[in-house]
Amino acid sequence: MLASLHSANTSQAPVAHFSSEHSCLSIDHFSLAYAGKEALRELTLSVPRHRVTAFIGPSGCGKSTLLRAINRLHDLNESVTHSGQITLEGQDIHDPQMNVTELRRRVGMVFQTPNPFPMSIYENVAFGLRLQQRMPKRKRDDIIEWALTSAALWDEVKDRLHRSAWQLSGGQQQRLVIARTLAVQPDVLLLDEPASALDPISTLKIEELIRNLKSELTLILVTHNMQQAARVSDYTAFLHQGELVEYGPTDQVFTNPRLQRTENYITGRIT
Amino acid sequence: MDITSDSHSQHISRQFNQELEELKTHLMAMGGLVEKQVQDAVFALLEGDTRLAEQVRDNDRQVNDLQLQIDDECTRVLARRQPAASDLRLVLAVIRATSDLERIGDEASKIARNALLLSESSSTIRGLVEVRHISEHVRKMLRDALTAFARFDTDLAMQVVREDELVDDEYSSAMRSLMTFMMEDSRSITSVLSIMWVLRALERVGDHADNLAEYVVYLVKGLDIRHSDTDELEPQVPKKS
Amino acid sequence: MMNSATHTASRRRRFSRVNDVWPWLCAASVALSLLMLGALLALLLVRGLGHFWPATLEEVTLDSGETFAGQAVREVALPQRAGDERLYFTGNQDIEGVRWRWVAIDDIAERAQPDDLIRLDRSPWGDFIGRLVAIEQHDQRWEGDAAWQRLNALLVLPASQRQDSQLLLTTVDGQTLRQPLASVASAQAPNAMSVWQKTLAWGDAVWRFLSEGPRAANTDGGVWPAIFGTVLMVILMSVMVTPFGVLAAIYLNEIAHQGRLTRLVRIGVRNLAGVPSIVYGVFGLGVFVYGIGGSLDEWFFSDTLPSPTFGTGGLLWASLTLALLTLPVVIVATEEGLARIPEAQREGAVALGATRLEMLTRIVLPMAAPAMLTGVILAVARAAGEVAPLMLVGVAKLAPQMPIDGEFPYLHLERKFMHLGYHLFDTAFHGEDVQAAIPLVYATALLLVLIVLVLNLTAIFLRHYLRRQRGNEC
Repeated sequence: MLASLHSANTSQAPVAHFSSEHSCLSIDHFSLAYAGKEALRELTLSVPRHRVTAFIGPSGCGKSTLLRAINRLHDLNESVTHSGQITLEGQDIHDPQMNVTELRRRVGMVFQTPNPFPMSIYENVAFGLRLQQRMPKRKRDDIIEWALTSAALWDEVKDRLHRSAWQLSGGQQQRLVIARTLAVQPDVLLLDEPASALDPISTLKIEELIRNLKSELTLILVTHNMQQAARVSDYTAFLHQGELVEYGPTDQVFTNPRLQRTENYITGRIT
Repeated sequence: MDITSDSHSQHISRQFNQELEELKTHLMAMGGLVEKQVQDAVFALLEGDTRLAEQVRDNDRQVNDLQLQIDDECTRVLARRQPAASDLRLVLAVIRATSDLERIGDEASKIARNALLLSESSSTIRGLVEVRHISEHVRKMLRDALTAFARFDTDLAMQVVREDELVDDEYSSAMRSLMTFMMEDSRSITSVLSIMWVLRALERVGDHADNLAEYVVYLVKGLDIRHSDTDELEPQVPKKS
Repeated sequence: MMNSATHTASRRRRFSRVNDVWPWLCAASVALSLLMLGALLALLLVRGLGHFWPATLEEVTLDSGETFAGQAVREVALPQRAGDERLYFTGNQDIEGVRWRWVAIDDIAERAQPDDLIRLDRSPWGDFIGRLVAIEQHDQRWEGDAAWQRLNALLVLPASQRQDSQLLLTTVDGQTLRQPLASVASAQAPNAMSVWQKTLAWGDAVWRFLSEGPRAANTDGGVWPAIFGTVLMVILMSVMVTPFGVLAAIYLNEIAHQGRLTRLVRIGVRNLAGVPSIVYGVFGLGVFVYGIGGSLDEWFFSDTLPSPTFGTGGLLWASLTLALLTLPVVIVATEEGLARIPEAQREGAVALGATRLEMLTRIVLPMAAPAMLTGVILAVARAAGEVAPLMLVGVAKLAPQMPIDGEFPYLHLERKFMHLGYHLFDTAFHGEDVQAAIPLVYATALLLVLIVLVLNLTAIFLRHYLRRQRGNEC
């Protein structure tokens, strides 16, 4: 599947490339700045379809920023400027013709702290569906059941769909957020440190969920927990100070990284 | 990307640094002990020193204990630290190396046992020259392999790998000449057989030293060169410029 | 000479003493506030509600031999004369010319409380205190106890059916009076009433206070039109201020670019809350009444000019002026509610493909609803009590018509209306009969407090219900 893997070369970062038939999302010389302060610098990488790609790196390296650029959440912030291109299935996401709300439906996002709406569990999952065309109640019920099942939450909540979502535990709330995102049937799922606020068991459940979702979706996971990236992802990209340092198969990055910077970060050495 | 021998000292966790350093130190200590075992066993054989041979056999217990201790330390590091990249390779290399070192210890024991057997024989023992020759060869290999491990020196390690072929050749020719001996003089069969066991043990020591060198390459470069032909190896393991 | 150890120790001791005192100070101030509040409420309750309790009637004989009947109201120590004086309400204004009488306590020879003294509530001359001699209806005549029973029976009938009856009354000093039954509202013999009967009479008096209009130039009768006017105006004001306030807050918080201009606007809004309310009244008078009202008159009601329709104070302008007055409060409260909504909720909605508008209407506004209600509560509380601006833009001392009645268009926004706060002010300071006004002032004040309390509690319960529905505070 890997079209090429550049060997260690002092002038170029070792970056995996995927052919267009295998890559779902491609980022091309993308730079971003908050009120003039540079956050991402000339990032170029492509994300393979139906795989889990992890972005790792120290705090402030830009991984969350990059994630939020993919679903154009930065549009909400006026002081953000960017250049370069991000293409989803061949379409430039910043193209004026591109419908932003449709983009955000196709590219779902799960945040670090679970943020269910102050509504019932049913209504939370139905929120995205209600934004689209009207559909008969039975169809909506079916989709909600499917989404909750895919998120491994159905059995736990099927008797109390109409209770408030805020009564669920942290791990359950996060899975509810995932279900809510799945309900609108996205192509890509962005996960911004989805388990960092959860206990270890919930974390493992979320990781298992991520593995299972791979067959339907392309997943991009941002995490500061390297062991999690190693456990869950197929490809890992190491970002540092807004730049892409190394990007390759997870096994290779964690057993024999190409660059010393990557090695130092992964093994916990003073950089 | 090659790692250097002191890259294991820069972790943010000082305790982790210490643990890895101790692993290396203990491994070197085991290597040194095993080296001495081989040296003593061969000396006991060549000089007929039965007391020394007994000592070598007794000390094997120490070698085994060291293996258990180091393996235990490695297990603990794996469980607690989830090491990655070069740290992981270091731990794996150490685990494999203790196994080979322990086997070398066993071979030294075998040599010592044969030394005891031969000391009872009164007639001239044939093949001692070959023994001396090959033993010096493999002892140097072992010493170099351990040095390469300590210094993370892949050039030295590759040298050891290449040496093993020469040792194998030497061994084959020594065996051939000893066979001839046996056929000529049927009274010498017992002692020649003992010598052949000794030679075989020494050849095995050489193989184990060769393994140790391969682990060094794995550790430093991340390349697993076990079971590869030496011809294929050259381009993959470039010399340091 | 202290070394460092004892120095630290003594500092610690001093600190801990401050620590002990501080909670007590706080508790004391809370207690003081509650005490003042309690005293206020107690005063209003006792003086306000006590006014309706059937008071004992006394028949007083002075040293000079003069007698009169009345209700003892209070005693005062006058510096000029030695000894105290007592004020009596004597009623009988048509006979005596005055309703009140000050008597030096030393001059009183005897005070009796005969059971047959009665008190009639009548218009137009107010209460009558004396004795019932007889009732005459057509040719029939009842006297004594029968007369009293007949009187009570007839009083139950509506005024239209009592036209033909007359009462023969006499005061305690012998003067007689013929009183048509039609103009009598109620009759009591308070000295002969049991506690239960007095309680019933008290309830009846309170009810009439609440449900009837004023009589005798606001010195007697009820305050129903004022209640109605106050509540109606507050409702209209809420209807007007809520959408504007909420929309303004949404714009400031969610849509506007958070730059210097927005900050200035926000500061301006908060400062508006501090503008004295009379200034709003003047603004309302100038802009709404004369400006817009005058134009409206010219365009639509020119046939009734020069008599103004909208060009003078009325319900609409009063509600609008108070809406303007309370607008900053609603804006600030709504803004604070909006600001408390975590950004994560907004992002969550947007990340699912919601447009800005959908995010606002489906997530943000429902979450901010309790805060919006808080704003409305504060607005209502403020508006119900403001009197000064209303004097310029729409209240009347005595409104001839109610703002809502049976004729089209049913809600008459141009009419003047009565307001409890203004009624209180007017009664207390502009009435001729000051002594009569005092109990009414207390009663009206109590009523005003209770109405504001009820309005607030309604909104608070609504807010509580909304919060519980959400499962949690946002």
